[in-house]
Amino acid sequence: MPNWQVNASLQVVSDSAPTPLEAQAALAEANSQAVRVHRTDHQLGWIVLGIAALYLAVGALMSTLPDPRRAGPVVGPALLAVMVVGLVGLVLAFLRVRAYSRTGILLYFGGVAVFNVWNAIVVGVSIGTRWWAASQPSYHFGISAAVGTIPLVVGAWLIWRR
Amino acid sequence: MSHPRHALDELLGHPVRFSITALLAAASKVEFSFVRDHVEVTDSMLSKQVSMLEQAGYVKVDKGFVGKRGRTWLSLTREGRRTFERHLGALREIAQGDGVGAAARPS
Repeated sequence: MPNWQVNASLQVVSDSAPTPLEAQAALAEANSQAVRVHRTDHQLGWIVLGIAALYLAVGALMSTLPDPRRAGPVVGPALLAVMVVGLVGLVLAFLRVRAYSRTGILLYFGGVAVFNVWNAIVVGVSIGTRWWAASQPSYHFGISAAVGTIPLVVGAWLIWRR
Repeated sequence: MSHPRHALDELLGHPVRFSITALLAAASKVEFSFVRDHVEVTDSMLSKQVSMLEQAGYVKVDKGFVGKRGRTWLSLTREGRRTFERHLGALREIAQGDGVGAAARPS
């Protein structure tokens, strides 16, 4: 085939463009891939909720103490077990994450950071107002723990609603 | 007025490379096996396409280890993200019928 014919054929091929239908199909494909990534972000939401559950479990165990100054023979090991199992579980869950979006990871770390600040305030106020004191009932620990986890629950909700 | 097809990226015209880029565009980082499972290609096919995208400067490949297991993470570079956005914009224009896509196709 003469060169001009080859060049002309190549020109025609390279000038081709997708039809509107093909373009719509490509856009739908891009959208479905984005949805898949957003769905995997839900794992981050579960991890955030796992941290909240761990903290609440510790608060619930503390609430069962007859004397807040002493952990006792059962509650002490139980607290340790909850912490170890919870932390190992969270690490394993984190290792299973295979994809995450920028917004998802920002909400995750944002939720954990806000939780740390908020929880420090809750603990500070609980001690300062003597809500946590030897003379107070143990369930006060549980209530403070529940209030402390609010940013984590909100963080998980924000990750899931996307 | 120029036809939107001129804004299409030749490398992203390939369906597998387009799907890989679309997945990476929605993410910050994605593990190799996740891309393989969702784009539904073999390891070798994915490696080949990722190398092409990496050579073009669209994709960044990070290798790491979790214990003894190797993990490869893929992400779009700024250039890759920009190119993909431009490509998507052109596709949107064509899909809306702003272009004369069908007329430009060889019969």
